[in-house]
Amino acid sequence: MNDQPEATSVFDTYGAALADRLGGTAIVEHDTIRIYVERDAWVETVRRARDEEGLTFFSWLAGIDWSKDVAVGDAVEEPDGLNERFEVMCRLSSIENADAAQFIAVVPKDDPVIDSITALFGGAEWHERETHDMFGIDFAGNPNLSPIYLPEGFIGHPLLKSYPLLAREVKPWPGDVDVEDMPEEEA
Amino acid sequence: MITGYFWVDLILKVVAVLVVMIGLALVAIYAELKVMAHMQNRIGPYYAGGRWGWAQPFADALKFIQKEDLVPAGADAAIFKSAPYIVVAATFATFVVIPFSSSLVARNLDLGVFFLLAISSLTTLGVLMAGWSSANKYSLMGGLRAGAQLIAYELPLVLTVVAVVVQAGTMSLVGIVEAQAAPIELGPLSISLPFLLKGQIVGFVIFMVAAVAELSRIPFDMPIAESELTMGYLTEYSSLRFTMFFLGEYAAMISMSAVAATLFLGGYWMPFVPESALTYVGPFILIAKIAVLVFFMLWIRSTWPRLREDQLQDLAWRWLIPVSLANILFVGFFKVVVF
Amino acid sequence: MTTDYGALMHRSEVAVSVELQTQDMTLNIGPQHPSTHGVLRLVANVDGERISGVEPVIGYMHRGYEKLAEVRTYAQMTALVNRIDWVSGFASEVPFIIAVEKLTGIEAPERAQWIRLILTEMFRISSHIVFTSSYPLELGATTPLFHALRERERVLELIEGMTGGRFHPNFNRVGGIKPAAGGGKTQKQVSMDIPAGWLEETKAVMERVLGATDDSDTLVTGNELIKARTVGVGCIPGDKAIEYGLSGPNLRASGVPFDLRKHEFHLPYDQVDFDVIAGQNGDCYDRYWVRLQEIREAAKIVLQAIDKIPPGPLRSKAPRVLKVPKGQVYVRGENPKGEFGYFVISEGGQKPYRLKIRSTSFSNLSILPWVLKGALVPDLVAIMGSLDFVLGDVDR
Repeated sequence: MNDQPEATSVFDTYGAALADRLGGTAIVEHDTIRIYVERDAWVETVRRARDEEGLTFFSWLAGIDWSKDVAVGDAVEEPDGLNERFEVMCRLSSIENADAAQFIAVVPKDDPVIDSITALFGGAEWHERETHDMFGIDFAGNPNLSPIYLPEGFIGHPLLKSYPLLAREVKPWPGDVDVEDMPEEEA
Repeated sequence: MITGYFWVDLILKVVAVLVVMIGLALVAIYAELKVMAHMQNRIGPYYAGGRWGWAQPFADALKFIQKEDLVPAGADAAIFKSAPYIVVAATFATFVVIPFSSSLVARNLDLGVFFLLAISSLTTLGVLMAGWSSANKYSLMGGLRAGAQLIAYELPLVLTVVAVVVQAGTMSLVGIVEAQAAPIELGPLSISLPFLLKGQIVGFVIFMVAAVAELSRIPFDMPIAESELTMGYLTEYSSLRFTMFFLGEYAAMISMSAVAATLFLGGYWMPFVPESALTYVGPFILIAKIAVLVFFMLWIRSTWPRLREDQLQDLAWRWLIPVSLANILFVGFFKVVVF
Repeated sequence: MTTDYGALMHRSEVAVSVELQTQDMTLNIGPQHPSTHGVLRLVANVDGERISGVEPVIGYMHRGYEKLAEVRTYAQMTALVNRIDWVSGFASEVPFIIAVEKLTGIEAPERAQWIRLILTEMFRISSHIVFTSSYPLELGATTPLFHALRERERVLELIEGMTGGRFHPNFNRVGGIKPAAGGGKTQKQVSMDIPAGWLEETKAVMERVLGATDDSDTLVTGNELIKARTVGVGCIPGDKAIEYGLSGPNLRASGVPFDLRKHEFHLPYDQVDFDVIAGQNGDCYDRYWVRLQEIREAAKIVLQAIDKIPPGPLRSKAPRVLKVPKGQVYVRGENPKGEFGYFVISEGGQKPYRLKIRSTSFSNLSILPWVLKGALVPDLVAIMGSLDFVLGDVDR
């Protein structure tokens, strides 16, 4: 797909230009634009994307946990060289065309705090509450950071890679159980 | 007077009125189930009692009676337990004055209409008692909504009836029917018309709207509002007490329709029926008119959503009451100047 | 027995002249309640009939989809993602499978893409019919429910005929759709395509759906009482809707004519002709009206698509044990309820490293505290119903 470096798609050009204007690094992969910004410039970048770039629609905000050891599921491809961190990702899109970009800020694990964008987008409040529930990332400035999904008295943050699944503790992964015959196995 | 003895007569009359009231209420329940079902493109009761499902109301009544009788722990027990009986008693009392023919009436009071209106407003009291004593926020809200609604719609009801009384010249229900049966001389012709056709059409419409509101039926069923408040002031009731409310509602539907039929449609009288036959055919004529009016109420229930509380109050205070006052003026003028 | 008139008078004066201080009542609506669409709990501060504040409490149905995705292969996830928004099952599967197809580079054949489009539109019809029939019921009108659901049964029968399931089709596979097959080896050779006669029946059913929409229009849209309960109630201005991430018919009813089907073309929407329905005021009536008209548009799309399906295979070759190359991709689709998307992070294994599900109703519901401030309690039901959310979608 990306064998010929000369064939740049519309997304590549747009992503590079956006990163230039807002000050970050762009990675465009499979028509998805990801722009990495500094944690301190998070609110400012989001604000400028909303006001100057026309990305006014708040789609979602989520967290990602990059860890070497995983309690359940697959680890990363090269766990030894991995930089362990959290990433907070926010997606904004335009409501006039298909322009969209995801802004990512790296949050270190020993200091999981980032500023809240609730003042810019009212809808971010619930998404930040969910990320706080699932990862333990603190959003400074969020008016109501109470648990949204987890019941009262729940200990732990479920989506962390270190959080185990009880079923997998009891019984190991049974493997890929596939019942249906694939079409190329006929004839 | 059937027998000469007062107490025997009294007991016979009470039993007769009870039978009529409960019998007609059960028929109304069955009609509601079937008519609404057909309007909604389904069949309705089908199995209980053979192909037509006629035993469904009996089955429902039996089911309710055999349920556990719950009184909530925080409820005011005396008021909670007595509320349904007040509602049923008030509705029962209205059947006492409704004439099924000139002689088939439990008690032909001279102040029939006055008694009717006064005692039917006791149901408001029962509803408020039910809502308040249930110790449940939903019931409280339903009870208060009901109280406000019932008080607001009493007024148009009473005012339209006043117009009829003015036109008939008497408050006795039998007298009102006879006033409609009395022929008017229009030159060589003499015809007799029910009040509906003698200038009371506006009054009739207002009366029906107010009656549907008094019965807390859709589109005025905010007090019960199933999809919002579970069951409003009835939420905490079960078993026999709920049956009382339930039957009471349908009995009230019949009684309101009977009153409307008597006041506006001519009651047990119909043109071209000779006096002598009226004693026997009268009840059937009245029941036929009741059936038509009840059908309209069911029709309205299937078609329209419910009005919000403030829209409901708006309708009563800003529209129905001024129009019914104007109606009285008009009828009074008509009666004095023309008739 | 002397009566202390002095004390009595003083007491009555005090009782009358003191300011009436009322306290807001805290009304707990749900989690079990006839009109919340599932296990949603609203803690409302009510002053008489006016709501001064509402706090939705969600999470009663949280099933942990994102954690679950980390321990399921992509093929197993396909069976699960249609259960997030269970009213529009297929439309939730499509963006996921397209995300996987983008990462692996396997593209679905034309025929499969068209069938995906037809099924998505049929689920859109199904979801919108559920809304247009149950919304008047919440307002008190009991009849439209029965008339509208009758047509939905026809549509669900068609879907079952094609996919084998009414609500959870599990019909997408990486590289296309599941070849419709019977049981046994000989039948498999014969019916590797969609069932015979399905396209003709679909045409007939779509005509009926168009007729039923006209019926609903007559019965409900012009009804004065429905208008009195919904016009001007729960107005959401366009810019607030955008700020909160409202999408789909909710956004379009607020006057923003944005439809993802006109911008995202992983299904051949650019080859069919349809209008983007937008309202004006953003009140409950507009949200109802937009969905009703969208049923019509969806039926028209299906009628056009039936004539345009090219012949061909239903599925490209895909390996049995699917190892998806390393990459990150976000694919979004126009769910009946709005923008539904999946952000997949793959680290080269059989299972995703992280799956973020952008569920429509979560964002749609987040505007509820804002829009309910100052509303009346009966309006709460009307407004909540008009947002058309599903708890499985909110809680994931």
